[in-house]
Amino acid sequence: MSAATPDTALPLRFRRSRLLLRDAGIGVALLALVAFFALAAPDFLSGTNMSNILTQITINLILATGMTFAILIGGIDLSVGAVMALCAVVAGTVMKLDALPEVVAVGLGIAASLGVGIAAGALNGFVSAFWGVPSFIVTLGMLNVARGLALEVTNARTIYDFPDSFIAFGTASLFGLPVMFLLALALLALGWVVLTRTVFGRMIYAIGNNEEAVRLSGHRPFDTKVLAFAVTGACVGIAAIVYVTRLSIANPILGVGFELNAIAAVIIGGTSLSGGRGSLVGTLLGAIIIGVLGNGLILMGVTDFIRQIITGLVIILAVVLDSYRARLSRSLG
Amino acid sequence: MTPMLSLRGIGKRFPGVVALDGVDLDIAQGETHALAGENGAGKSSVIRLLAGIHRPDAGTMALAGEPYTPASPTDAIRAGIRVVHQELNLLPALSVAENLLFERLPRRALGFLDRRRMDEEARALLDRVGLADLSPRAPVEGLGVAQCQLIEIAKALRSDGGRVLVLDEPTATLTPRESGRLFEQIEALKARGLTMIYVSHHLAEIFALCNRVTVLRNGRIVSTERTADTSPPELVRAMIGRSLATQAPVSGGPVGAEALAVRRLRPKGAPPGPGLDFAVRYGEIVGIAGLVGAGRTEVLRAIYGADGPPRGEVFRDGKAVAIRSPRDATAAGIGLLTEDRKAEGLVLSMSSAINTSLAALPRVTRAGFMRADAERAACVRYAGELATRLSGPGQPAGQLSGGNQQKVVLAKWLFAEARVLMLDEPTRGIDVGAKAEIYALLGRLAAGGRALLVVSSELPELIHLCDRILVLSRGRFAGEVARADFSEERILGLAYSGYMGETAS
Amino acid sequence: MDRRSFVIAGFGAGMLAAFPGFARAAGGTPKIGLVMKSLANEFFKDMQEGAVAYAKKRGGFELIPVGIQSETDIDGQIAAVENLLTRGVDAIVIAPADSRALLPPVARAVKSGVKVINIDVAFDPESMKKRGVDIAFVGPDNRAGAKMSGEVLAQALGRGGKVVIVEGNPGAENATQRKLGYQDAITAGGLTLIDSRTAHWETEEANSVFTDMLTAHPDIQGVMAANDSMALGIVKAIQARGKTGAIKVVSFDDIPAVKPLLESGALLATVDQFGSQLAADGIDEALKEIGGQNLTGWIKTELKLVKGKGAA
Repeated sequence: MSAATPDTALPLRFRRSRLLLRDAGIGVALLALVAFFALAAPDFLSGTNMSNILTQITINLILATGMTFAILIGGIDLSVGAVMALCAVVAGTVMKLDALPEVVAVGLGIAASLGVGIAAGALNGFVSAFWGVPSFIVTLGMLNVARGLALEVTNARTIYDFPDSFIAFGTASLFGLPVMFLLALALLALGWVVLTRTVFGRMIYAIGNNEEAVRLSGHRPFDTKVLAFAVTGACVGIAAIVYVTRLSIANPILGVGFELNAIAAVIIGGTSLSGGRGSLVGTLLGAIIIGVLGNGLILMGVTDFIRQIITGLVIILAVVLDSYRARLSRSLG
Repeated sequence: MTPMLSLRGIGKRFPGVVALDGVDLDIAQGETHALAGENGAGKSSVIRLLAGIHRPDAGTMALAGEPYTPASPTDAIRAGIRVVHQELNLLPALSVAENLLFERLPRRALGFLDRRRMDEEARALLDRVGLADLSPRAPVEGLGVAQCQLIEIAKALRSDGGRVLVLDEPTATLTPRESGRLFEQIEALKARGLTMIYVSHHLAEIFALCNRVTVLRNGRIVSTERTADTSPPELVRAMIGRSLATQAPVSGGPVGAEALAVRRLRPKGAPPGPGLDFAVRYGEIVGIAGLVGAGRTEVLRAIYGADGPPRGEVFRDGKAVAIRSPRDATAAGIGLLTEDRKAEGLVLSMSSAINTSLAALPRVTRAGFMRADAERAACVRYAGELATRLSGPGQPAGQLSGGNQQKVVLAKWLFAEARVLMLDEPTRGIDVGAKAEIYALLGRLAAGGRALLVVSSELPELIHLCDRILVLSRGRFAGEVARADFSEERILGLAYSGYMGETAS
Repeated sequence: MDRRSFVIAGFGAGMLAAFPGFARAAGGTPKIGLVMKSLANEFFKDMQEGAVAYAKKRGGFELIPVGIQSETDIDGQIAAVENLLTRGVDAIVIAPADSRALLPPVARAVKSGVKVINIDVAFDPESMKKRGVDIAFVGPDNRAGAKMSGEVLAQALGRGGKVVIVEGNPGAENATQRKLGYQDAITAGGLTLIDSRTAHWETEEANSVFTDMLTAHPDIQGVMAANDSMALGIVKAIQARGKTGAIKVVSFDDIPAVKPLLESGALLATVDQFGSQLAADGIDEALKEIGGQNLTGWIKTELKLVKGKGAA
């Protein structure tokens, strides 16, 4: 290879083919799963069921989008389910303030949900980056704090009876697709642009790969970390709003275990748990796989317990396959 | 007589690369055989095949006449081939003794560890590599790189090195004194008739220790000769396929104004006292010499704010600058090439272009968005200027050879327009040819008006590069040597001076 | 409760078990400990508040209420029991997190002379026999309640109606009892059960799971949900499918959030087990025991069927 004038076209193609290789693996797995269910469960491929699946994965997709930021930078956020409950009950409380006109109350409620999510996320990032504590343990603490606050705010009661105009969004559809899913997709696309095209995204990948090299290149990883966790929190705030409009209730015990589903989607999507490697395209596929699996097995009439076992096995299989894929792309590189 | 180890027609290819091609090699019983060649010539591939990490695509290997086909490193050890790798494989949380004896820990009944026997065996092994004063119970994580390297070697000595002992760059991180002790051990093993394969960039070592030397280039064997029948220049010619111009000392440019000065600088771990004062001017290359542990790296890190705000004052262009973190240092036009390129200098899995722009992101962004074209262009430009060999700006830094990696790090600081460059072991793990290129490059940078501060444990390197050398001994300056007075004896004498009895401070 | 206080509490309880007379207040107002399950659950929160209100109204005894972190925090509850013994209570009213695991400390309390009343979920009779205790249980008959609710659905659909059950947490006693009650109603009413799945008491999960059940079995006519939270999600799923009114839902608990659904007829029936009074009822029985009565067996509490619009 010529030293002085390296070919600029080659590496781009090279990089793209590697990306395709990564995501293709997950895509093939998804296609196989769809093909299997199409044969095994006659109603699976129907338009209604497809739309149902999209509705069912919406919340997880939004949470997983945020989780991708936390994991890419080398952290994790275990508090998303609990923070989501806190966002939902705060939003619910605000929306039910009688003193405000309906539109204002709904608007403020949405803003409150986002605000709570961003604040909780930023706090997670701040504590873990400032004191150098693993985010695993910080967010585990936040999980309890947020859940406790949610219970305190509501006195453990369910908030219900929201304005119809707000609730209508939850089940609305556009071009035959659920509006909330389109929102999640738009959010994912936005996240993709941020991760692949902006300085912020660049710093996230770089820090996830080698924080010390980034620091010694004259950057402050601290800012990026706090911001990345704030993004995770913002997604939680949005997910909470989607929950409330779809189910018309907000209660402080919602979202238990949602963090694990979000993490599973990210990891099945090929993002490395140690950070720095992965993409939101993978996360989208990962969330769809989880959704398709849950839906398809019910349609097949598989019992609850067996369904749980199969879901667990698929997660394990996904990470095992990913390790092979990583090895393959390394040796090709 | 059957050779101890024999390779016939060995071939190994990786996707896109032919690593080894028709390699025939005989290692006689009891000889010490050197493998020489530039990085990427195939030395590491040979070692990986012997160690059972890779399997050959073609050819056969035989050990003492028997077919040798290791499927794993464990197989290799069982067959009697011990390899001391260049990378350290110690478990930091465990003690020295546990690391030394990890493969077979002395046990008592019921599987309990026999602490006393562990200590005894460990002490005996440590003694053999000259680490007698190290406690077997000390955890490995507190030790320096050199000590770790010696422990790795001690580990392989446990079974007297087995049948064949392979040493891959064992002195890369050692000081001359430590190397000397290692050579004594190697001589003792030779005397006992152990067969050894010795890989090193240091030609002097090869000629001092080895019976024969095989030169590899581009995956093929160029020559195998008795060391008595060849010479260092001949060997270099064989390695790079041409002769190196005699190494004229690098000369900096006309010396300009004071670029960097420090006053009362007290780096991390520095002894009590007034601290360090020195200055570097534009166009000048200043070296910092000293033994391992003298505090050389710490000086650079302190100026750079890498371990928090430095204690002492830092001046740039005569003006005091407040440095609280590397961010302030880079803003003041100071760049640092770290000792550990892979862990601290580069983001290995990311592209060369990304690594090039890492310290100067504002130059390749607009309104918070990356300008991928500008970034690639910068990478291509510096690859041209520094003659970096890459397949393109998208090639991950981790896939480059050591020399080319170092050039990418240099490109990063050039692109960031750092006028003061601090370089910590700039040629560590870099092969002969690339070293010469880096030296020339540093000379050009100084001639171009940059100020360079270089730390190195290789005295010839400093003598070759620098205009003057500051000698650190136990955290204090023992003296400064100007180019006219450069000699290894003089510098070493100063370096040891702090360790000769107590000096009152 | 953290581990340290748990250890200290355990130690204290051990000491007290050795000297039973030492711990209890001699004379004065009796102390009654109330051991609840997770106060994060609306149902137990109400129950505790009801008990506190009742204690204030009735007077004549001191109430010490304690709760635990989560529905399954068995260790926490054991520690809570031992803590109460340390504080020298005369009686304990307990809603056990597990019908067997809580028995050892409770049996120890009984043997040291503390009166114990069991509420909400009954202790396992076999385990009680093995420990030589017979603790009175005050609580609703979940199975009978679910049957009442299920029968409303059976009546609305008529014989041969196709129904599904959405269950609570597998393994939870009340979830099991409610499922049995629904099955009783199905048998008695001649309904056909086509599927039965858990949604772990959760609104969102019930919404998803039921949506998928409906896809697999478009001919579903009725749903029996093991609690109201899940019914909320199920009703949403029915609305989304445009089948409001065509698929009928019954459930259990009567939480405030289902009131609008009952009014509109989206929910046909639910069952009020007067959870807020349950602990107060238990306290009443405990006071009787302190007064010298010896109670055993199941003292059933009131259940009320709450019918929505359109129920017969």
